[in-house]
Amino acid sequence: MISFTVNGMAQQVDDAQGDDKLVDYLHDQMNLTGTKFCCGIGVCRACTVAVTKPPSLAASPVIACSTALASLDGCAITTVEGVSQGPDLHPVQEAFLQDFAFQCGYCTPGFVMASKIFLDGLAVRPVAPDQLDAAISDAIGAHICRCTGYVRYYQALRRTAVAVMAGVGP
Amino acid sequence: MNTPFPPQHPVRLTRRVFLQATSGVVAVSILGVPGLRAQPATDAPQTAGVATERIEGRAKVTGQKVYARDFNARDMAGWPAGQWYALYLHALTTDHAFLGIDLSSLPPAAQPTRVVMGDHLSDSQRAPKLRLQRDLHIDDLVVAAPGTAPRATAPTAQTGSFDKPPSIDYDLIVVPGNVPDYLGQAVALLMFDSLAAYRAARVFMQFRDADFQSYAAAETPSPGLGQPFSPQTTYVKYAEGGEHFSYASADPSTYMTDVPQWQAKIADTIAGNPQFIRQSIGCDMQAMDPVFMEPEAGIVWHEAATETLHIVLGTQSPDGDVGDILAMYEEADAPFTLANVVLTSCYPGGGFGGRDSSPFSLMLALAAAYSGDAPVRLEYDRFEQFRIGLKRHAAVITGQVVAAPDMTLQLVEAALTFDGGGLRNLSPYVAGLASLCVGGSYRCPMANIFGEAVHTENVSGGSQRGFGGTQAFFAIETALDEMAIGQGWDPVALRRANLLVQGDTTVVGGPVVQELRLAEMLDLAEAHPLWADRAQIKADYAARGLTYGTGLAMSLQAYGTSGDGVVAAVLLERDGSLTVQSDGVDMGNGSATTLGVVVGPILGNNARRVDMGCYTLFGQTGLTTSDPAGQRWANPDWTPKSVGSSSACLTALHQVHVMQQTAQGLFAGAILPAARDLWGMPALMAGETAWSNGLLVLAAGGMPPLSMQALADAIYARDLPRGALGHAYFQQFWAEADFPTAGGLAHLALDGLSFYLPDTATPVQVTRQNATGPGTESSRFSRTVWAPCINIIGLVADPTSGAVQVENVVSILNAGKVHVPQLVSGQSQGGVAMAISYTLLEDMPPGMAGPANGTWNLNIYHMARAQDVPMAPVYTPGGRAQELVILPESPGDNGAGRGIAEAVMCSIAPAISNALRDALGVRYSSLPITPQKIREGLGQ
Repeated sequence: MISFTVNGMAQQVDDAQGDDKLVDYLHDQMNLTGTKFCCGIGVCRACTVAVTKPPSLAASPVIACSTALASLDGCAITTVEGVSQGPDLHPVQEAFLQDFAFQCGYCTPGFVMASKIFLDGLAVRPVAPDQLDAAISDAIGAHICRCTGYVRYYQALRRTAVAVMAGVGP
Repeated sequence: MNTPFPPQHPVRLTRRVFLQATSGVVAVSILGVPGLRAQPATDAPQTAGVATERIEGRAKVTGQKVYARDFNARDMAGWPAGQWYALYLHALTTDHAFLGIDLSSLPPAAQPTRVVMGDHLSDSQRAPKLRLQRDLHIDDLVVAAPGTAPRATAPTAQTGSFDKPPSIDYDLIVVPGNVPDYLGQAVALLMFDSLAAYRAARVFMQFRDADFQSYAAAETPSPGLGQPFSPQTTYVKYAEGGEHFSYASADPSTYMTDVPQWQAKIADTIAGNPQFIRQSIGCDMQAMDPVFMEPEAGIVWHEAATETLHIVLGTQSPDGDVGDILAMYEEADAPFTLANVVLTSCYPGGGFGGRDSSPFSLMLALAAAYSGDAPVRLEYDRFEQFRIGLKRHAAVITGQVVAAPDMTLQLVEAALTFDGGGLRNLSPYVAGLASLCVGGSYRCPMANIFGEAVHTENVSGGSQRGFGGTQAFFAIETALDEMAIGQGWDPVALRRANLLVQGDTTVVGGPVVQELRLAEMLDLAEAHPLWADRAQIKADYAARGLTYGTGLAMSLQAYGTSGDGVVAAVLLERDGSLTVQSDGVDMGNGSATTLGVVVGPILGNNARRVDMGCYTLFGQTGLTTSDPAGQRWANPDWTPKSVGSSSACLTALHQVHVMQQTAQGLFAGAILPAARDLWGMPALMAGETAWSNGLLVLAAGGMPPLSMQALADAIYARDLPRGALGHAYFQQFWAEADFPTAGGLAHLALDGLSFYLPDTATPVQVTRQNATGPGTESSRFSRTVWAPCINIIGLVADPTSGAVQVENVVSILNAGKVHVPQLVSGQSQGGVAMAISYTLLEDMPPGMAGPANGTWNLNIYHMARAQDVPMAPVYTPGGRAQELVILPESPGDNGAGRGIAEAVMCSIAPAISNALRDALGVRYSSLPITPQKIREGLGQ
């Protein structure tokens, strides 16, 4: 059996399903459709989720459309549905809202997840202020958005990152 | 505090209209996104008329189900839980007859439950008589190509089949024995009753199309390839020596007959003035995929017991899609009788025109007939979306620009040929608007322009951001730049010498009645340091060993169509909150957010709910487009057009207008009389009231402020209107009328007003009086409203590698009144990125070398990412920025916004080409300008 958690919920999958892609599992088995299918080949990163694989405590961005379930045994997976609970949003979600960062929003869950992982890391390992833009580019520079031209995503994430480094959150 | 915005999210809603189909009356209902959770209001203070976030933003940023792709049958209340899956196989050639398919090599676990071939379909399923409602009047443009016989009039909305040009029949699924009409045309429909089998088949069959399809060995060309789609466009204008001829002013019945003599007169005039300077136009551009992020998907269910077709879809054109689906099922040979259509309209995951009249909805609806009673899901993956999704047209534009030695333009002559691909779709209308746009922002006494879209085997073209302007402005703006260089003229001075102003006429001959402010914009551009200091900047880059260039280009993008009908409802709920409803669709451009706040200044509060896609509202207006007696505006029930497709550029002027006028109607018909009663002031006039912090106050004081709850209580208790439904029509100017209301006679820029009374679902039409509206003459102006933009580009080109990086973009935009500044700048930023990508990166060869072969995805098709786009918002020397300069609102705007969703994009490509000309001394006129083309241009 392949065992992992999704947003804290334990999942067990038969080994025969090991080649199934994570995005399909989330959609078909869990009805969690917040993780978006776009290119299906791991280029656009709209399907990014956060995966923590012991012994590491830090989450890494994982492309759900191209990740087989077999590779996730023992992992803790967080999707966009698990980022916030109740009415209180994660600071980067609030920032994306307040800055009108997204338009159609289909790429937004991927940006949210990559940004959350980045901000979590930043809280532990701050970067020099003059390295912040480069660090943001490393975090979300490979993501594709067709609507926005990226400007407001970057602005919102930068503002949130500055707050994180100032100890304000997340 | 005013009403929080954004507020509670819309809950499930139903509106219903009855449409007359051949087989009887069909009831059409529109539902909102199911199960969308109410979102909490933010804690921040809210101001009427001001948006603090997108109304649907919390749903999107938390991953709620809002897109059609998110839904399965199990998510839909009242549907069966199980569903089937549809998979189409796509044609691989247009040179050989399709014989059939062979699935014997497919493993048992991947075998379909049912196979549907073209000869299994009834006539109405195989080739439904589609409707066309994009543009009310442009079908008048049916004309002949030079040297050919006039073509038949285009099909009408009632009788036509919009993917059937003369002598060409396109089947939704190719009948075995026939040659496919275009690459990617469906040749078979595979139906699966289990997800496992469907997935297994997809995996097994991917990239192996030829293993399952057979074609005749003999070569038989597909009939009709190379034929133009009807209508074609001819704009010939002559305004010299006191003589006047133009498309707009000529007698429509003799226009085409007269064209040749005026073309000859133009030729004679040019030949008789050898001092004139001629600059050739010659450019071409590739097809482009819109790459909206959500590949098209949807579910459909034919509920036999109730004769209902349920559809879940994200579309820009719900009205057209439902009409087309009805066309498939209304005929006597349809596989089932249809009494109801229920469309669940989801937020599209991007659009850019690619979901406007997309064939996807038909392919989805077709599958409903082959699953028994089970729902069916059709979902494209990205490979399929590339393979068959609508594209921006590849185009070739040739011609010349002629100017006098004093820089004044004399003639724009152009032949525009758009690769329409397989389906006609909106291609001829795109070519038609391009034929207007190729005249640019300039006054010109002579024009000789011919535009057409041609049927080819390639992936179908359609409506795309810019709607032909992107290609056309590239042609004129690069030619003008080349002319300036050739004559040693300043490129800004050349443009300034020819700017259109109010009172001029376009190349169509229609008058410019809207304030353009092009000279003011050129002043700003010329003074901007990115342009003013360009020589110094170039020298600075050169000192660092870098090759730098600066380019400038203008665009005058029209928005709307030649006649636009729009509809809106404003409802005052019992709790005092406002709900607004619009026929528009929010593709991400922010229409819903905008429409939610523009009622704020009129009703003191923003809407708490915004419902989009409500095109069936028109059916409740009591209006008709039928006018057999020819009464036009004297007929109190007549309007020229109901509603049309939704494009992002329709929000700022059209949708906002009808929403605000309808809100004015509700104020006059309900708020004002309620206030009169509550304050005991029967003679109270609207001008004596004001809104303050969400409360209605007597401007002179002395009366208690009235909350929306108090007003709602009074309105519902007194049986005053709880809501208003308005319809507006725009064609150069708005139709207007007087409407008797409880608050007095309201003069509104609407041609229809109805009131919803408490406890009744159907509104009561108010009989309009003294209606005036656009006449027939302006129907031949093509367009009458404009969103001008100037782009300045500074870029670095590497002559060795051919790499180009855009360093700075300055966009100077006339947006009229800006309703939501964040949305306007967001549209601009998106347009800049898409245009840079279009100009430098995105490449798509035609035929089976391109996406039609089914192997294309984002690993092959390269789009702009963040590093390709300047990100800082303000230009600073040495930095990398995209700066948007929006003209301050002018009194001439009359409080109206302009549709700018396409405007900024349209002049980026020519500005880049002009900048490369400055940098490298080479004119690059073939898009995309790839590193290879750069090197080739430099002789490498």
